[in-house]
Amino acid sequence: MSFLRSYALPRLVQWAVVILVGATVTFIIPRLLPTDPVEQTLNRVSSTTVTDPRAVESFRNAIRDLYGLQGTPLEQYLRFWSRLIHGDLGPSLGAFPTPVTQIIRDGLPWTVGLLGSTLILSWILGLVLGTLAAYFSSARWSHVLAGVLVTIYPVPYFILALVLVMVFAYYIPLFPLVGGASGQASLSLAYFASILQHSFLPAVSLLLGGTAFRFIIARALAGGVIASDPVVYAEVAGLPKRRIIFGYILRNSLLPQVTDLALALGALFEGALITEFVFSYPGIGYRLYTAILQSDFNMIMGVTIFSIVGIATAALLIDLLYPLVDPRVRYR
Amino acid sequence: MAGSTTRRAFLRGIIAAGSGLAIVPLLGATTAAAQVGGGGGASQLPVNVPRDQVYVVDQIFRYSVANNFNLFVPNGPPNPTRQGLVFDTLWYLDQDNGQWINSLAADKPSYSPDWTQMTVPLRQGVYWSDGVEFTSDDVVFTVQSIQSTPGLFFSAEMKLYVKDVSAPDKYTVVFTLNEPNPRFHMYFTTRYNAVYMMAKHVWQGQNLQTFTNSPPVSLGAYVAQDADPNGYWELFKLRDDWQRATPGIITGQAGPPYLLTIFYGGGQQKVIAMARHDLDVLFDLDFEAFKALTDGTPTARSWFSDFPWAYTNELDTRYFGFNQATPPYDNKDVRWALALATDIVGLDTNYVGGVAKVTPIPIPASPLHMGLYHVPMEPWLQSLTIDVGNGETFQPYDPDIPNRIAAWAQQQGYSVPSDPDGIRQRFGIGSWKYAPDMAAKLLLKNGFTKDSNGMWLLPDGTPWKITFIAAPDENDAYRLALGAQDQWKSFGIDVQVDSLERTPFGTRQNTGDFVATSSWGQFQVNATADIWGGTGLSSLHSKFFTPVGQSTAGNGSNNIWRFKLPELDSVIDQMSKLPPDDPQVLDLGRQAMQLWVSNMLTLTTLSFKKFITQDTQYWRGFPTAENPTRQPLYWFMGGRFTFPLLTPTPR
Repeated sequence: MSFLRSYALPRLVQWAVVILVGATVTFIIPRLLPTDPVEQTLNRVSSTTVTDPRAVESFRNAIRDLYGLQGTPLEQYLRFWSRLIHGDLGPSLGAFPTPVTQIIRDGLPWTVGLLGSTLILSWILGLVLGTLAAYFSSARWSHVLAGVLVTIYPVPYFILALVLVMVFAYYIPLFPLVGGASGQASLSLAYFASILQHSFLPAVSLLLGGTAFRFIIARALAGGVIASDPVVYAEVAGLPKRRIIFGYILRNSLLPQVTDLALALGALFEGALITEFVFSYPGIGYRLYTAILQSDFNMIMGVTIFSIVGIATAALLIDLLYPLVDPRVRYR
Repeated sequence: MAGSTTRRAFLRGIIAAGSGLAIVPLLGATTAAAQVGGGGGASQLPVNVPRDQVYVVDQIFRYSVANNFNLFVPNGPPNPTRQGLVFDTLWYLDQDNGQWINSLAADKPSYSPDWTQMTVPLRQGVYWSDGVEFTSDDVVFTVQSIQSTPGLFFSAEMKLYVKDVSAPDKYTVVFTLNEPNPRFHMYFTTRYNAVYMMAKHVWQGQNLQTFTNSPPVSLGAYVAQDADPNGYWELFKLRDDWQRATPGIITGQAGPPYLLTIFYGGGQQKVIAMARHDLDVLFDLDFEAFKALTDGTPTARSWFSDFPWAYTNELDTRYFGFNQATPPYDNKDVRWALALATDIVGLDTNYVGGVAKVTPIPIPASPLHMGLYHVPMEPWLQSLTIDVGNGETFQPYDPDIPNRIAAWAQQQGYSVPSDPDGIRQRFGIGSWKYAPDMAAKLLLKNGFTKDSNGMWLLPDGTPWKITFIAAPDENDAYRLALGAQDQWKSFGIDVQVDSLERTPFGTRQNTGDFVATSSWGQFQVNATADIWGGTGLSSLHSKFFTPVGQSTAGNGSNNIWRFKLPELDSVIDQMSKLPPDDPQVLDLGRQAMQLWVSNMLTLTTLSFKKFITQDTQYWRGFPTAENPTRQPLYWFMGGRFTFPLLTPTPR
């Protein structure tokens, strides 16, 4: 009871406030941009279609009504919350009249699937490899591994991804150039293999950079822990190396890495724009990008709300779980 | 011992896991290739159709909306290519040769003498893909539905113009108009798109703003078969009764059994896809990407098989535009000075590879328009004289420019025509002289001075700085901006280029938030002598003038340069009363172009060019310069008449 009142409840309130403020700011910011979805529509229409100048004003008013942009900003804001409570994010203004929820539903599984799996894999690989490299710092393989990953890390992601495309889609054309899978979605092995085949190159590109990044951090953190008294005593006491590495070093360097993982998982919902561009992979990064360009208020709101909720929830979970991971944190 | 074991076990685990991760997708790659290979050999297309049965088309962009064919909703479902595959309208103008095509209409429209009534005879024997015959009821339903549903494409226009639409019989439609309009039929005549027909038996009773029309009952040669929910590709299947749709009726040919539109991404992905023979025709590439593709892929080519390779007849031009609501660009002498400080030969050869045609007027130097405008106007262009101050005059037109571009091309080892007419057809008729000395005189005449570093100062003594806006994804326009930056800096003007994404670029143009723009598209012509309608002269009338800060698009105007020219207004007014095929329309069009040039309203640089590139590995028959059967602009609605010409490459 004390835990709920003094620890969990304030954090839950904070979580709700973060989402409320975040959503409100996201509502306001696009409306301050010089672009306007109605004017964007008129631009697009006039660039391809015979339009009569005298018809423009009535067309503009009709579009404004159609997009639900009539009324004052406050009225629009209230309508937004009223819709959101019912799980409706409105129609996309750049892909009218497709509901924002449908667009997110079509794109989000690809984003979460690719980014989520590569993030967790790269987190585990980076953490374990970095810890081992720090502990066996004088071993030859440790130097080689550090050399390779430290070299990969500063390579711009776009270049790395493009090299993968050139090598494995052009010179050795093993992998497809576009999409997340072939054929109709099904539970068949062939479809599953097709998903793996399509995601292989983007996954490798993300894994390389992600692993290198976390390797460098893990090695530095582990280096500090190795020099600490408990590890020195454990070495002197002759404990098995496996226990020293995983029970003392890795566990004690884990806390900041858990925070990083949780926040990175929360940020998955923002998508990976460059990955989508280079590998022509489905996801919501491109949707958010085009929504910003088109002043698609509803789409921006939709993706951003997922992101806000994701990050706020991740932060909340870290807060709630910290006492379980770190014995130094206690409920008061 | 423990440490050694841990390390080895760990490394073994890593290797095993890595191998597993690598092998599964490789197995997937093999399986997928085997599945789709069929008779056409291995490919990695996302659909399970034999490669030699499907024509693969470059989808210009990734679609935001999938499985929705309600193309009447603005900013909704995309229309490039697909509008021609499943929709139809009354008439088409072939964008390459200007040929008038009666599609759903059996003949041209006939108007009442006072231009308030238009009668259209419909083609008989056209059927929707579900077997229902297309009749006048569909046309009447379409027009009335669009009229009564605000916000749809053309709804405002139909409401403005159409008093009544009726069907006296199954194959005749009569439009009664609210006011005389000799160009009303242009709403049903396709350049890029037009009023599409709705199937009354499908659309009746639907909410027209939200109806998805998916899968669509088609009036084209194809039906929608499958689509990627994430917008990367769409598959269309040839109708079994393709002879009952207008592409089949008019061309007598079927075309590929399947048509796949696919968005591979940027230029490098398109090059890879075509080099792998996973793409049969693509929209455009930059010069370097095109050369990389064709140098390594013998089956790939563009409009010409040799220099200049590209298709140069798309009906648009590149230009430098100036905000004439802002001094000193409101002064035509200043605009002329900038024109004469521009080396057009250098721009074409150094920045666009010498493959585009020059044009002194904002009408592209297509063979059709060269005959209508450029060549007949050349005597006037040659006699054009401008006052450069101190009683001195100058004739700025230079007919020798095509010869100089041809000479440059020969130096590069390219083959060029040897006869004067061939050179003009290839490179355009001429453009403005590169005369920095005359440009300087024009500026001095208007109070400009130079500082000790040789840089120009405005009449008020402050340094002259020009900031161009340009969109890098419109490759030629961007490169031309960089070219102008180099050339005008040499002339003594501090020039900066602001690179903008397409949307903010358009917004800044429309709201007048710019000084200079390297642009295209504000003045587009059709494949006809009439330059009044569409995005032509009509919306440049000063009654639609839009002050800086307000959007021209929101005002029904394309006059982003914000000029007011009463003489041009008079020409526009006269043209508006004439039918588009009236001989006077051409005379008035030439008058408009003379006014445009005399006042240097925009500095037109080059005609459009596109490296529309085809791969003949699986399909042949796509139009080329040697075989210009139809417009190669396949993403326009008229592309529906191009696809039937394709036949499988013999293997």
